Parts: sequence; C-alpha cells; structure tokens
Amino acid sequence: MRSPLARAALALYPPSWRARYGDEVLALLDDSGGGPAAVASLAWHALPAWFCPPRHLHDRPARMRASLATALMSWSMLTGLGLVFAQLTQLQGLAPAAAPQIRWAYAVFDISLATSALIAGLGGLPLWLLMLRRAWRDQRTRDTAYLLLPVIAPVAYLAGLIVTARLAGGASGLSQGWFGVITLAGFAAAATAAVGPGLALRRLQPRGPALRLAATAAGVSAGVMAVAAVAIVIAVTSLDLWARQFAGYHDGTLSGIYLALVVAAATVTTVSAARGTRAALAHP
Amino acid sequence: MDGVTERLDRWADPPLLVLASLADEPKHGYAISQDVAETMGVRLSAGTLYAVIARLEARGLIEPLESDDRRRPYRITMAGAEALAQQSERMSKVASVARERLSTRLGWAGA
Repeated sequence: MRSPLARAALALYPPSWRARYGDEVLALLDDSGGGPAAVASLAWHALPAWFCPPRHLHDRPARMRASLATALMSWSMLTGLGLVFAQLTQLQGLAPAAAPQIRWAYAVFDISLATSALIAGLGGLPLWLLMLRRAWRDQRTRDTAYLLLPVIAPVAYLAGLIVTARLAGGASGLSQGWFGVITLAGFAAAATAAVGPGLALRRLQPRGPALRLAATAAGVSAGVMAVAAVAIVIAVTSLDLWARQFAGYHDGTLSGIYLALVVAAATVTTVSAARGTRAALAHP
Repeated sequence: MDGVTERLDRWADPPLLVLASLADEPKHGYAISQDVAETMGVRLSAGTLYAVIARLEARGLIEPLESDDRRRPYRITMAGAEALAQQSERMSKVASVARERLSTRLGWAGA
C-alpha cells in the first residue's frame, strides 16, 4: 500500500528514523495491505519517536551542526538586542546613583558580551577555516559566499551606517526614525551574517574535532551570554522602577516587549547550544 | 534485571512477542507480524512493530542482517536470548503455579 496517507504518516517521524526504517515500514504495508488502522497506528507512534528517539539512531555530528546553526542565529539576535540596550542606556549615561545595581549590570553586561563573543569566535574559528578551505578547494562558490557572510554583512552594515550618519545626521545626531531604520538594518545584517555559516554547515556537513570544539565553545559562550541577558533584565527593570526620570523615552510596554525578546533569544541560545555541547561531550 | 527486561514481564508485551518470534530464526517485519498473529494470537500493527524493533535494536536485544531487499531481516542477539529465557522461565513458574492452584481448587486439568 503506497497511499499518500501512509507516506504522510511516515513523514511525521524524525528524519533519522525514516532513513533507517522508512523503506521497511513501507514494505510491510505493501505486504500486509494495511488499511487506515495501520496508517493511524503508524502516525500514533511518531510522537514517541520524537520524544524518545532510539539511541542507535543518534547522529551526533548532525545534532551538533543543527544546534550550532540555531544557537548562532539566536546568539546574533541576542547580541543585537544587547547592543540596542547599550545604545539606549549605558551610552546615554543613564546610571543614577540611587540605583547602583544599574552600573553593576552595565559592567557585567560589557564583560559577558565581550567574553561570549571571544569564546564563540575562538571556538568557531577552526571550523570556519576548515569549511572555508574545503569550499575553496572544491570550488563551491555558493558555500564560500555563505561562509564569508559573517565578514561581508557587518562590514557592509558599518559602511552603510557611516554613510547614513553623514547624510542624515543633524547637529543633535540621528532622528528617532533614522535610529529605527539603522536598528532594523542591524538586525538584518546580524541575521544575514548568522545564516551564512548555518547554511554552510548544512551543505558541507563537517565532522571531527573542529566541530566538537565549536559545539563545546558554543555552550560556554551561550552560558556567558545568558549572564549578559540577566544583566540586561536587571538594568532595564531597575531603570523602569527607580530611574524613570533618566529614561524619558522608556515606557513599561516597550520595556516588557524588549525584555520578552531578550529572554526568548537567551533561552533559545542556551537550550540549542547546550544540546550541541551535550552531543559533543557524549561518549561515542 | 534492567528496565527493559522488567517491562518484558507481561506475557503479551510486544517486545517479548517479537523476541519470541525471532527465537528460532531471523525474520523481516512482515514475517514477524504474521508469525506473532498465527502462533501467539496477537496482531501487531506496523507502528507498534517498528517502534518495538527500534527499541529492541537500540538495546542490543536484536540486530539487523544485511539485505539487498527492502525487507531487512532481524535476528535475536545473545543478550536478547538471555532476556527471553529469563522471562520465559518466570512465565513458566507463574503458569505452573496458576495451573496447580486452579487444579486443586476447581479440578481444572488444563488444555
């Protein structure tokens, strides 16, 4: 039986399960002429296959690559949110003496962000160079371009930022409208820079020590970045509660939305990176 | 006794039925489901059967054999045979006690 329903039921299973047992299940349905009940049973058992995947089907390198790609994207978004935070608070001198925790939160944020970026950069560099060398050697132009996006996108963004500041900047700096445009462009640049290596990971499918190092470093980097996220939450909440006079453009709703985004990005980053690190450190 | 072997305790537990089916010779999925239905009177759906096969394979109780066909046969491993023997022994004791007590109380001689 090769009904679309049987195929649809099989499509509910994890890819590794389908790759291992898919043909056999279809052969069984062919032989037994399984009807709707067999298809329904097949669909029903897809759920536990996701929640408790059989251990022998674990593809650790694939797990590490997928986690790295997700963590890189969410880390970039979190970094972007952190830079917006720094621009709107710390760089505006919003550090009231009545709330010393704000100054402390700024310091923790700065140190955490720098440390996290350093760890991610150092841990990911060997893997990036390895993939770049392979893409270059095999003349894979598209993969080379993907891998160069983390360099090209920030440079292009900074160039655009300088030009915009010169053309649109007045005596008191950029207007709020232009600031919004620059912020959105920054997030687009960060997403572009992050998606490139993610696509290259999927296409080149690297394995080995460089991948394990990158996945381990991502876990440490994400843990440090979570500290930065906590610092953001403390600073923004403190500013809203005890220093409203310093933050005229702040309001509770915007702060709430912003903090929700920070917490979401930090959670995705931490969970994804932890899964990759777990796969990297697991015994073969 | 580990968790899986513990779960094999129920006589109609699908993993136990699959192990029993593979005890004499390797079989592929359809042959297992046919054998279980004919000899043990239990129908295993495709979803149940392959969930069990995946679990038993992960625990090293059965192993796949090479096949050019889509119908890949499986055979029971030594660990699987030991688990099946342990459970069979326990089930035999339960059956023996049950038969003896039923015989004493009801005069039932069994089939």
